Amino acid sequence: MASATIASATPVLSVRNIEKSFPGVRALSGVSFDVAEGEAHALLGENGAGKSTLIKIVSGVFPPDRGEVIVDGKAVHLERPDDARRVGIATIYQELLLFPELTVAENIFMGHAPRGGFGRVDWRAMREKTKELLASLEIHDLDPDRVVGALSVGNRQRVEILRALSHEARILIMDEPTAALTEYDVRRLFDIVRKLKARGVAVIYISHKLDEIFAIADRVTVLRDGAHVATKRVAETDSAELVQLMVGRKIESLFPKITVPIGEPVLEVKDLVRRPLTKGVSLTVRAGEIVGLAGLVGSGRSELAQTIFGVTPAEGGEIKIRGKKVDIRSPGQARTLGIAYVPEDRGAQGLVRPMTVRENFSLAALGKVAFGGFIDRALERKLAGDGVKRFSVKTSSLEQVAGKLSGGNQQKIVLGKWLANQPKLLILDEPTRGIDVGAKAEIHRLMGELAAQGLAILMISSELPEVLGMSDRVLVMREGRIVAEFTREQATQEAAGAAMMGGQGVEQAA
Amino acid sequence: MSEIPLPQTAKRVAPWWLMRHETMLAAILIVALIILGFLNNRFLTVDNLLNQGRLTTEVGLIALPMTFVIITGGIDLSVGSTVGLCAILLGYSWKNFDFPLPLAIAFSLLVGAAAGFLNGLVITKVKVPPLIMTIATLALYRGLAEGVSQAHSVRGYPEWFYFIGQENLFGVPAQLWLLLIAIIISGVALDRTTFGRTLYAIGNNETAARFSGLPVDRVKLIIYTLSGFMAGLSAFVLVSRVTTTRSDMGIGYELDVIATVVLGGSSIFGGVGTIWGTVVGLAMIQLLKDGLALTGVKGDATIVVIGAVLILSTLVASSLQRRRGGV
Amino acid sequence: MTAATFARAEADPRRLFKALASQEALLAIAVIGLAIVVGLDNPRFLATRNLSDVLLGNAYIAVAAVGMSMVIVSGNIDISVGSLIGVLATLSGTLAVDGAPIAITWLAPLVVGILVMGLQGVVIAYLRIPAIVVTLGMLSILKGGLISVTGGKWITDLPDSFHLADIELFNILPMPVFLMIVATILAAWWMRYSARGRAIYAVGGNAEAARLVGISQRRTVVMVFALHGFFAGIAALLYATQLRVIQSTVPPNLELTIITASVVGGVSILGGVGTVIGSTLAAILIAEIASALVFVNVSPYWIRAVQGVLILVTVIADILRRRRMAGA
Repeated sequence: MASATIASATPVLSVRNIEKSFPGVRALSGVSFDVAEGEAHALLGENGAGKSTLIKIVSGVFPPDRGEVIVDGKAVHLERPDDARRVGIATIYQELLLFPELTVAENIFMGHAPRGGFGRVDWRAMREKTKELLASLEIHDLDPDRVVGALSVGNRQRVEILRALSHEARILIMDEPTAALTEYDVRRLFDIVRKLKARGVAVIYISHKLDEIFAIADRVTVLRDGAHVATKRVAETDSAELVQLMVGRKIESLFPKITVPIGEPVLEVKDLVRRPLTKGVSLTVRAGEIVGLAGLVGSGRSELAQTIFGVTPAEGGEIKIRGKKVDIRSPGQARTLGIAYVPEDRGAQGLVRPMTVRENFSLAALGKVAFGGFIDRALERKLAGDGVKRFSVKTSSLEQVAGKLSGGNQQKIVLGKWLANQPKLLILDEPTRGIDVGAKAEIHRLMGELAAQGLAILMISSELPEVLGMSDRVLVMREGRIVAEFTREQATQEAAGAAMMGGQGVEQAA
Repeated sequence: MSEIPLPQTAKRVAPWWLMRHETMLAAILIVALIILGFLNNRFLTVDNLLNQGRLTTEVGLIALPMTFVIITGGIDLSVGSTVGLCAILLGYSWKNFDFPLPLAIAFSLLVGAAAGFLNGLVITKVKVPPLIMTIATLALYRGLAEGVSQAHSVRGYPEWFYFIGQENLFGVPAQLWLLLIAIIISGVALDRTTFGRTLYAIGNNETAARFSGLPVDRVKLIIYTLSGFMAGLSAFVLVSRVTTTRSDMGIGYELDVIATVVLGGSSIFGGVGTIWGTVVGLAMIQLLKDGLALTGVKGDATIVVIGAVLILSTLVASSLQRRRGGV
Repeated sequence: MTAATFARAEADPRRLFKALASQEALLAIAVIGLAIVVGLDNPRFLATRNLSDVLLGNAYIAVAAVGMSMVIVSGNIDISVGSLIGVLATLSGTLAVDGAPIAITWLAPLVVGILVMGLQGVVIAYLRIPAIVVTLGMLSILKGGLISVTGGKWITDLPDSFHLADIELFNILPMPVFLMIVATILAAWWMRYSARGRAIYAVGGNAEAARLVGISQRRTVVMVFALHGFFAGIAALLYATQLRVIQSTVPPNLELTIITASVVGGVSILGGVGTVIGSTLAAILIAEIASALVFVNVSPYWIRAVQGVLILVTVIADILRRRRMAGA
């Protein structure tokens, strides 16, 4: 529950006017907020709002271009993660940074193990101290001598928290801590957060999950497009207001939606299962239809897409493409069936950045520009040239290295390379993430055109306005299942948001 | 995140850098040739140059698939041991299994391919890193060679068998034709086919290659099998040239081959490299050995220089890449 | 029963089982078991003379494996050690024949070993050249250098006082065995009880996480290679002083045997786990197998194949285990 009062003493952590830019992108512009001792402070924002950049600055991964980080009233210069640790800031990332082959106790005390005679590592003291730490958080089922690699995700996270405590962290930052946890582990995490607060440790909690924020946080700061939007007491706001602050745009003006005749089903999925995140999904996408798939981070949407696309083949259930049952075991097979997938992480999954624009354009359609295995350069250039023109890719030449283009242009290449195959089903995963408004509008216009040409489109997006504005139907996914379906008329941000968070939410302890 | 659109000034384009490395190397090669010709007036004769070519074939044949492997970011340290194994089995199956010699040759080639296939299979299915798998098979294949041969060597092959290793065809050493054909096929495959394009994609971003529907595992399996097969072919040429088979054949080949490929411009980290560069690298290494021989340095000692060349060319390539600011 | 007590009770039998199933215990069982099995078939295998020959002749491999294990635990590899041992042995012998004080002939390989390996560590850690490239190159430089300088000739006329390996402490403990035991115990102690020793495990296990707690990967790698050079120097000394002559060539495939000893001894080739006690036991086991082959009338030429199978099987098992663990 929200704590009664936030002490008006000096905040334990304060950031002032933080600015940070990367080549081509302004990630943070003048962000300020502060955190009090013993406070649980949530950091909320869409993907690309700047949360992880801000956290990396506070954790010492890189310095800000401008602005200050102030701990206990004193400005600190953080050049290395080690510096942050020394002033009492500890960060727990989503990819836990642990030593899988070493024990719980050693993971906690690596780098500052208790010493005995001759300066030797005192294993017994280490075990004892670990037990003390465990007891202080009332964790009774973790054996200090167990090898961390064999632990569940929930337990590993607890080891990271204990490590932070062992360094006497006063500020604990948790980045999407519940993304991979079971409900039981989430409840235990909340327990721990409450105990930490009672000890005076401030917790900065980055999350998409509004129900968790209401369960555990005292205040919440909303970021949008790299700027600070608002800081509110959790008790004085509600989810509708938070969603509005997070997204805060008018829907209508951005999305030119044309009515298009809807044809036969192209994709039919029934009870699709794939561990760990796809737990029985059924959906249909028809020709000319745009189906939006909304959901919180970790709800399993990308996993679903990758199962349909053959990257992580299904373990159960059925997929039908244009009425015929298929067993998709590889992306190559999916491609032959007329499926295209524009992945979430275009840098790591969508584009081969060191290669040229021309080479990237033909990567998924090499068969179309090659005869008997031999690539016809002229044909390839034509394919790429057509693509550049059609999608208005701003590049100095076809031989430009793709990695040097802006995010929007890179995304157009990824989209374009798949369209060269003339697919029947297009799965888009966060198609406009990290892209400027102009390019966004272009991509949306393209989507409309493609639908008009009879393509079936499944669009995964975390931007509710985009989902609501572009889709003929909206599906909401939560914890590996489809939990709601709305037609275009029925769909509203509130309804979708409610379905995404789930009716019950996580139990709120007294 | 609001985006600042990028200025479109970036002019440097990936293939240009490649071109630069190879032309630099080719220039050095020509200069070195001239110098050596100057120091020894019998050096620049056609006869001598062709003879040099004869000696480079064994390493050259293996350097071709090794280029493929290194471009994908992998490595194959077992090639030397595979040469030994294939050489032994060639002699052994002929002498002890009474295979007719052509069959024995085919058998040893098959063994080479199988050895490479095993590497590829474990690397793609069990996902053992290539470095580690091929260190293990380096030990295993050499061990099998020693075990099968029991340190006996096989001699007394029929006349026709020595053709490829010792005779000339139209005035050019026979094995050189073989190498030439292999070079052309590999070069064209790497440069102009979908197979070659897939190799570069894997080396630069394997995940994106998979997500684009490219048959990554199948291609990897092919290149490691090819590596083993070419080791077998190289063994055949080697035995034909030295008229005997011994279990210590091919020891140290991996050094020569990897140095050749790296010197020729392929990055040990993958994603970059061409067959033409490897060929120039091959010529340079052979020239290096000759140059050393001319100054009185004996055969064994040349590996000192080769080792130094390997480290230095990796160093140069790596700092060049960093200065380019790799994407 | 509260959750806590239940968990602890459940943990105990698991802990006991784990101790029994540890790599080190398995190796010890294998060493003894193999001796029994072969001895039953051919009792001469168990003759004191044979067992001590096996141990004395191969102790140097165990010593070298101590250093190699450290390198592999830190997440690196080294294939130059065989050539280095050849060079250091020749260096030592040459100094002895040239009349240098015995202390110098014994110290020189240690110092040169540390320098050469340390240099490789610097190139790997600071210049960021992959360990395989550096050590492959160095292997050739050392091997070729040795041949060209010495021409492969044998070093004879070694002074009697040179033969360190012949010394028997208290008239019963041969120096090779003594050094093997001391090296193993000291290294094991250091890797378990010193902060720098544990840092090796951290760097090999997750270099990013190590950096987070202030452990410098670069300094750790250089330190590890320098130590590796030190142990290679001791191994070279044992190798050089156990026969009447020194062949100034590189002992063939020595680095492979050493790597096999480490890997079979439980050092994961991916780094972060393993002990030198395991590698010493494995070195003894491998030497035992080589000897056993002779006694059961299998040609000794198969020993390399056996090593190859051992290393392949161990590596595959390790990778499979890691994949299963990562999926947990």
